[in-house]
Amino acid sequence: MNSLDILRRAGKSLRQAKIRTLLTSLAIGVGAFTLMLSLAAGQGARDYADKLISSNVDPSSLFIVKDKAINGIPQPQSDLREYNPDTGSAGVGAPNVTLLNNDDIAKLQAKPYLKNVRPIYQFTTSYLTFGARDDKKYTADVNVYNPDVLSEHVTGMKMVRGKDLAANEAVIPESFAKTLGTTSDKLIGQQLSIYISRDPSALSQDKIQSVLATEGIAGLAKLSQTQIKKLDFTIKEVVKPSNLSFTNTASIQISLSAAKGIVDYSSEGTSNYQKYFAATAQVKDGTLPKDAKSKLQSDNLYAQTADDLQGFLFTIVNVLQGIVGGFGVIALIASIFGIVNTQYISVLERTSQIGLMRALGMRGKDVSRLFRYEAAWIGFLGGVIGIAAAWILGTALNPWITKQLDLGASNSLLEFKWLQALGLLAVLILVAVIAGYFPSRKAARLDPIEALRTE
Amino acid sequence: MIEVANLTKVYGKKKTVFTALDDISFRIPDGQIVAVIGKSGSGKSTLMHVMSGLDRPTTGDVIVNGELLRTMKQKKIDSFRSHQMSFIFQSFFVQGNESCYDNVSLPLEIAGVARSKRKTMVERALIAVELGDKIKSKAKDLSGGQKQRLAIARAIVNDPKVLFADEPTGNLDSTTSATIETLLFDYAKQNGATLIVVTHDDDLAMKCDRQIYMRDGKVQSDSDSQNEGEV
Repeated sequence: MNSLDILRRAGKSLRQAKIRTLLTSLAIGVGAFTLMLSLAAGQGARDYADKLISSNVDPSSLFIVKDKAINGIPQPQSDLREYNPDTGSAGVGAPNVTLLNNDDIAKLQAKPYLKNVRPIYQFTTSYLTFGARDDKKYTADVNVYNPDVLSEHVTGMKMVRGKDLAANEAVIPESFAKTLGTTSDKLIGQQLSIYISRDPSALSQDKIQSVLATEGIAGLAKLSQTQIKKLDFTIKEVVKPSNLSFTNTASIQISLSAAKGIVDYSSEGTSNYQKYFAATAQVKDGTLPKDAKSKLQSDNLYAQTADDLQGFLFTIVNVLQGIVGGFGVIALIASIFGIVNTQYISVLERTSQIGLMRALGMRGKDVSRLFRYEAAWIGFLGGVIGIAAAWILGTALNPWITKQLDLGASNSLLEFKWLQALGLLAVLILVAVIAGYFPSRKAARLDPIEALRTE
Repeated sequence: MIEVANLTKVYGKKKTVFTALDDISFRIPDGQIVAVIGKSGSGKSTLMHVMSGLDRPTTGDVIVNGELLRTMKQKKIDSFRSHQMSFIFQSFFVQGNESCYDNVSLPLEIAGVARSKRKTMVERALIAVELGDKIKSKAKDLSGGQKQRLAIARAIVNDPKVLFADEPTGNLDSTTSATIETLLFDYAKQNGATLIVVTHDDDLAMKCDRQIYMRDGKVQSDSDSQNEGEV
C-alpha cells in the first residue's frame, strides 16, 4: 500500500476521534511548549551574552592575573596560610591572592605578542566637587576610562575608539546633570575635583624619619592625620551607558595615568603599593588569544580570553536551559504513555477494521505502518500546537520580559528559530512514532480470522 | 479454477483437539456459483478462510488457478487476495465514519491502484449497486441493505475473479436479501467470476449452481458429485 494513502487514512482515522486525538496531542503539546521555550530562552540568552561580550570585550583582549584563584569564581580562604608580602586582597571579602608587581607588568610589556598592557587600578575616592556646585560634596564611582569600549555619546567632545583621555580629562554620565540641577551641555568644560585620602598608617618608617628630620614633630603630626589630596579634571564628555555595557553603573571615567597617580598615592607605603590584582592586554595581530594564554602560563601568569568569558557565560545559560528543557522532557515522557494508551485502545476498537483490511490483502507491515503514522500525526499535531503556543506567547511576552529584565530595547530573551522549531517537531514526531510502536505491532499481529469474528 | 485436495484443519493440541476440516476435496470451475451449506460449527467458515489463504490448512492443498497456496509466501498470498479475491460478510464491516467513496476505495489502495484510476472505478462500482448518489455520504447514515450494497461495491470494485460471501443476507429482511442476491449473481454471471456463498439458508443455497453440504468438518453431500469423483 502506498505510503501517502496510509498517511491519508491515518489522518482520517484520527479525525474520527477528534476529542481523543486532541487530548493525546495536548499531552505532547505541553512537552513541546516547554522545550520550545527552553530552546528560545537558551538562544536568546546566548545571543544576549554574545552581544554583551562583543560590545564590552575586545576579542583580542586578555585578562591576566598571577594567581589562578582570581579566574573563575573566587573562593573564600578556607585554611590558615603563611603570610606572603606579595599577596593582597582583590576586594573586600575576597581571599588573599598573589598580585602582579611592576616586574610582572614589565615582563608582560616585553612580550612580543602583546600590546596595550595595562595594570588594573582599583581605588576609592573620598568625595568630589563640581565647579557648578562648589558648595556641595558628592560621591560617585570612579573608573578607568577604557578607550576600547565606548559609551553612548550625549554631548561634549565625541571620543574615538582607541584614544585615551588626557591626564586631566574626565567623562561623566548623563544622570549626574539632574543631581547637580543643571543640563549636560552646561557641564562640558567645567571643573571636577576628586579628593582622595591616604591613611596615616600608610607611612613607611623611612618616610617618618625623613619628615621628622626636616619638618619636626609638627610635620609628623600633620602627616599622621588622614591626608586628603585634590585632583582637578575638566569634563570632556557626557555619556550614557549602553544597555549592553557591563559597567552600566553611572561612574566617572578618568584616564589611566590619572588612575595610576591616585593608586600610587593612596597605596604608598602599604604592601599593596605598585601591585595590581590583574592586568589587561591585547594580543597583536597574528596571535590567537588562546596561544598567548598558553605561552603566558609558562611564566606562571594566567590569562582569561574573551572566549573563556563567553564559555563561562554559556555554561550558565546551558545549565539553566537544561533545567527548563528537563521539565519539557519529563512532560514528553508522560505524553508517551498517553500515546501508547490511546493507540492500544484504538487497536482494540478497530479490530474488525483491521481484520477486514487483512482480508482484503493488506499486509501486516502496512497495518503496522497505519498505526505508526497515526502516532506520527499525533506527534505532529501536538508539536505544532505546543510550538505555536510557545511562539505566540513568547513573542507577545517578549517586550514585557525585556522591560522587566532591563535588557535594552533591541534585545529579547526569547528568540525563536525556524530551524529549531522544525528540528523539535521532527524529534516529537519520532518520539510519537516510537511510542506508537507497541500498539502498531499488536495491530499487525492480530489474527485476521479472529479479528473478523469480532462483532 | 479452485481446487481443494484432502484439506484438513485441526485446532488445539492433544486432549483439546478439534478437527474443523476433515479430508475435504473438491473442484470449483471458473464462473461457478457455489453454496457451502452447514450449521454453525460445521466448518464452512473455516473452509472459506483456508480457500482464501487467510488461514493455512494443517494438511492438504488449495490450488487457485494452478497456483499452490501452500508454497506461496505470505506476501504473495496477500497480493493474490487483494488482486483476485473479495469478501462479503454478514455484518458488512463497512466503516461507518468513512464516506462511501473511502469505503470502496480501500481495496484499490491496498492493491496499489494509482490514485488517478481509482475515482472512475469507485464511481462505477457504486453505480452498479445503485449507490451512485451516496458517494459522499457517511456509511453510518445508510440503511442495512444499503450497507451491504456498499460492501458489494467494495467487493467488486477491483474486478475479483473469486468472490466469497459469508452469510451475505443473514442480517437482512427478505426484500433486501433478494436485491443483494441479484446483485451478487449478476456480477458473477456478467464477469465470469466464481462466487462462493457460505450460508445456512437453504432458499439462498438452492438459487446457486451447486450446493456443498457440510457437517462436522466433512462434505456430507455435493450436488456436483461428478466433480468430486474426479479428484
